Amino acid sequence: MSLTFAGGNHRTVPIELREKLAFSSEQASQALARFQQQFPGSEAVLLSTCNRIELYAADGERSGPPPPDELAMFLAECRGVDPTHVGTALGGEQGTAAVQHLFCVAAGLDSMVLGEPQIVAQVKQAWQLAQQSGTTGPLISELFQAALRAAKRVTNETAVGRERLSIPSIAVADFASGVFERFDDKRVLLIGAGKMAAETLRYLSDAGARNIRIINRSIERAHDLAERLGAQTGDYKNLSHEIVEADLVVSTTGATEPVVSHSLYQEIEGQRQGRPLVILDLAVPRDFDSRISGRPGVWLYSIDDLSQTCDSNRRRRQKELPAALTIVEEETRRFMGELHHRSTVPVIEQLRAGWEETGELELDRLFRKLPKLDENSQREIRQAFERYAAKMLHPPMVSLRSESKAGPPHGLLEALRRLFDLKE
Amino acid sequence: MADFISRISVVCFAASYGVALIFEASRLWFRSGVRGITMIGFVTAGLFAHSLYLIWRSTTLPSIPLSSAFDWYLLAAWLLAAGSLWMTLSNPRTPVGLFVLPIVLALIGAAELSSREPFPQSPATQIWGVIHGSFNLVMSVAVVLGGLAGGMWLIQAGRLARKQAPIQGFRMPSLEKLSIWSSRMTVIAATSGSFGFLSGIILNVVNQHRGLIGSVPWTDPVVLRMGALVAWLIVVAATSRTLRKHAIGRRVTAVLSLVSLSMLTLSILWGVLGNTQHGLPPTQASVFLSAGLVEDAS
Repeated sequence: MSLTFAGGNHRTVPIELREKLAFSSEQASQALARFQQQFPGSEAVLLSTCNRIELYAADGERSGPPPPDELAMFLAECRGVDPTHVGTALGGEQGTAAVQHLFCVAAGLDSMVLGEPQIVAQVKQAWQLAQQSGTTGPLISELFQAALRAAKRVTNETAVGRERLSIPSIAVADFASGVFERFDDKRVLLIGAGKMAAETLRYLSDAGARNIRIINRSIERAHDLAERLGAQTGDYKNLSHEIVEADLVVSTTGATEPVVSHSLYQEIEGQRQGRPLVILDLAVPRDFDSRISGRPGVWLYSIDDLSQTCDSNRRRRQKELPAALTIVEEETRRFMGELHHRSTVPVIEQLRAGWEETGELELDRLFRKLPKLDENSQREIRQAFERYAAKMLHPPMVSLRSESKAGPPHGLLEALRRLFDLKE
Repeated sequence: MADFISRISVVCFAASYGVALIFEASRLWFRSGVRGITMIGFVTAGLFAHSLYLIWRSTTLPSIPLSSAFDWYLLAAWLLAAGSLWMTLSNPRTPVGLFVLPIVLALIGAAELSSREPFPQSPATQIWGVIHGSFNLVMSVAVVLGGLAGGMWLIQAGRLARKQAPIQGFRMPSLEKLSIWSSRMTVIAATSGSFGFLSGIILNVVNQHRGLIGSVPWTDPVVLRMGALVAWLIVVAATSRTLRKHAIGRRVTAVLSLVSLSMLTLSILWGVLGNTQHGLPPTQASVFLSAGLVEDAS
């Protein structure tokens, strides 16, 4: 009864090779069907994301699943990659190390962005796909259930996935939402049509922003973005008027000089009638003169301000890493203990069956000698025998469970087999 | 049942609020999945015991329900505790209890130091007494809530100005929401304070006409302090209204609301620790005056 995995991630496999080894969900289904033919009796789950390709295998039989290098070859063959190219890029682990690795992956501790939440869904999807492909069994299902439980514990008990790490998400959730309670009644102005602006607008739309205007020197690009995001476009020449009307400005132009100078803002601020203005200046060099930050009612955040928060959040996540790893270790120990204990079940069953058989023989002999015993008395005596057998079996079972926590209790099992003449 | 209710003491609900406050404060140090529900459980238990205690007092004492300074403070604490529970339920990520529960406990402490003797009453003045007390109660609660909203506004604005991410477990409501709270509370406090003061004057005039008091105690320190507080609240409400379309208006309202809360606190402290003939039965007031125990403004 053992577990193994082979694969690689963003740290071990170069992007070119990762692209070649990546599986679409259809390709993954085909690969799993092939696995079933090639390794009958083994269970498997294939996890393929943009940052990792991993194949997990398990086998309840003594022969065990294919070793990691064989799994790595299998992955390469499935994607038509020369196995000699895969060589050192794909690694693998067996037993406890493989379990711990999967738990770390599911909890986002092995991700490029520490604690990123998408990986849990990806692990779940990979397991579901294997279930549909018929390559799961009791062992690998238990492994993936335990992995999802470990991921849930890490999320609930640590802050490893809590702190935001992308600049647009921090800009909206930590700063703009600190000023405004709601966004559906606010006017959002986007100056420029850069990639980060589009991402920020997506967060704002999720937060409820509906009234969005985009102005850009190139009106075509503004139209394109407006169409994609369901926004309106405005005339760049009316920049001052647009700022007067806006509650939140996201600026991402490629201008080399500030688009809004301190004096320009001073000229128009009176027309705003004291409404607060949040400015997310995501341009480098900055689009808004930094002195505007000192104007009453203005909350100006440059990309440097947001990056600092980003870095401190990343450090906070790192601080939580030891606590998250402790949870993973606990869950691994728990899972391995249960797994090792499962290997003792046949011996315990044999032991119990032997005792029950002996008990039955003795009871038959007793009841033949005492024919006057009524049914009630016979039942009482039978129950007493059963209780006796259960009590006698309890200490070896406790010892086996306790020994299982440290590893497979081979010694105890062998001793039981020899002492009670149990078959292999 | 009656026996059970009669055994509820101030310590019972004060302890519940205290434990809830400790749970709320622990947000700042560590995360926990069960803390929120435990904290809400303690506030609810405290509120339940607090309600039973007030019901027991209002039904067993032979006076107008809740007509002593002791009851008045407990009622104010009850309103704030209920408000704290409601705000915690509607804003679970905001540590509302951390701000409101210390004031609830302070009011319970003030109640313990105050007289349990009912205010003087006669059929004619009874209704004006109730109106006067109720308006003052609403004013005080509004000043407290407005002051807390103002304080939270300044904390949140400070965080945003320093460009810092929110502190774990200490996420404030948005400035927009806090501005709305503090300006609304400012208006409620000024309005109810004005009506409270006016009804107090009417109460005294009626008492004078009935011959229950010699003259209206215009110069009583409590009357002067409350008059000053009401005047201040009117100024705050007017200033807040005038500056609502000015960029610094929200900050000014927040600061002024916090000042109002400080003034109310000082006023209550002075009332609890000092001597006054305010609210005393006429005969007792004259004894106090003749013994020189009350600050005689004349």
